Amino acid sequence: MAEKQYGFLIDLRKCIGCRTCQVACKAENDVPLGQYRTWVKEVEKGTYPKVRRHFIPVLCNQCGESACTTVCPVQATYALPNGIVYIDPHRCIGCGYCMAACPYAVRFIHPTRGVAEKCDWCWPRVRDGYGPPACASACPTGVMLFGDLADPDSPIARALARESVAVLKPESGNRPQVFYAGLDDEASRLVPHGPEE
Amino acid sequence: MDMTLLYTVPHGEAFGLSIAIYFYLTGLSAGSFIISTLAYGFGFEKYKPLGKVGVVIATLLLIAAPLFLLAHSGRPLRAWHLFVYLSGTSPISWGSFLLTIYPINCIVYGYFMFKGDKARTKLFGLIGIPLALMVHGYTGFILSFAKAHALWRSSMMPILFLTSALVSGVAMMILVTIIKDRFFSKDGKSNTELMNGLGQMLLWLLVFDLFLSLSDVGVHYFGERESMETARLFLTGAFAPLFLGVETLLGKVIPLVLVSTPRMRNPAVYGFAALLVMVGIFFMRFNVVMGGEYIPLM
Repeated sequence: MAEKQYGFLIDLRKCIGCRTCQVACKAENDVPLGQYRTWVKEVEKGTYPKVRRHFIPVLCNQCGESACTTVCPVQATYALPNGIVYIDPHRCIGCGYCMAACPYAVRFIHPTRGVAEKCDWCWPRVRDGYGPPACASACPTGVMLFGDLADPDSPIARALARESVAVLKPESGNRPQVFYAGLDDEASRLVPHGPEE
Repeated sequence: MDMTLLYTVPHGEAFGLSIAIYFYLTGLSAGSFIISTLAYGFGFEKYKPLGKVGVVIATLLLIAAPLFLLAHSGRPLRAWHLFVYLSGTSPISWGSFLLTIYPINCIVYGYFMFKGDKARTKLFGLIGIPLALMVHGYTGFILSFAKAHALWRSSMMPILFLTSALVSGVAMMILVTIIKDRFFSKDGKSNTELMNGLGQMLLWLLVFDLFLSLSDVGVHYFGERESMETARLFLTGAFAPLFLGVETLLGKVIPLVLVSTPRMRNPAVYGFAALLVMVGIFFMRFNVVMGGEYIPLM
């Protein structure tokens, strides 16, 4: 059987911004206090009464041309054959270079372990057959579709063929593998202001 | 369309003050090593008084610098991984070898210099020059390869870092010469020829450094969205006082005026200019490292 190529399709038109995915991830992956492997970015567009909130779940894009794996000096972070970018916690020296290279800022240094950590689409859980990643399992509105892009009959491959989708920051050249339906590009690019503004 | 960001998770910065200090120290080391080789490698006799002190300072700084890397690393005891698990695409992997070979070469070069073995001193001096350039140039590549940040993902970083390394190295050598002449020479007289030579060098390096740093910010200002935001951060935003005021005005323009005015060629003025330059280059490292990551990405 050919190797699987995992992908994520997030249908933002169905997202209600409840952050169940964010909580499920914390519980599944023992994510330290104050850090998140996934979170739901929230942007308000327009002014009352013509207003709408946009929710953008952010997770690791498991990029096809990942900047993080390029710069890691000890090859502690690398792409698995199925496309998931994994971190070897025993090899990582915690230099932070991968964090500096990631355009999506999904990485952080674990406060007590001192090594880099990020979303890995719950690879240990998926590998051991416990179903899709925790965020996708927990989502009450079925926003997140996780599956094999290499299999044209998989639900995600069929949905990707059908829907018009977008990725975050395509200009990074990283080939992100999280696809969004209904993404507002400008809203997704909104970042917090510096303290002076 | 009005847009308000209500919630996102900003993760902490990847690099920080200790990385800025590390860049500063390697820059000073590379600069002073190159000054040291001017006499012993290239035969500029004028710079002979700085040969020995230059190599001692270069070695000591390069032994101190990696300590800041260890302090920054989350798992410093795993530093040996750098020598076992290699990655050709990672400048930090290149650096772990440069940071080992360069100080060893410095020590060998210094050993032959103190022994008075001219031929071997010259040989290891000439070997050391590309090493010194690489040991500081690679730090520029570290930032260039961190492509998430608009300020860093530029081929300008290595040359900018090399130039500012030479600027700060020459400035430090001016201060060293003053201290040497004032406290350690028999007659207490200053070496005018050496001082003027270093002053001229500082002058032209400052001109080049100013050109590079202003063209960098200038091109960012007319660049794509993230570049523009970075340029605004440095020209009108939170980093403007440090970039325009401290780094550029105090650290480059005022010293440039001081060393380029023939009437003011005396040790006190040179020393003051050199001190300003050393502070200015420290803030250049600070601005590039801290400013580069200042704007959140998500």
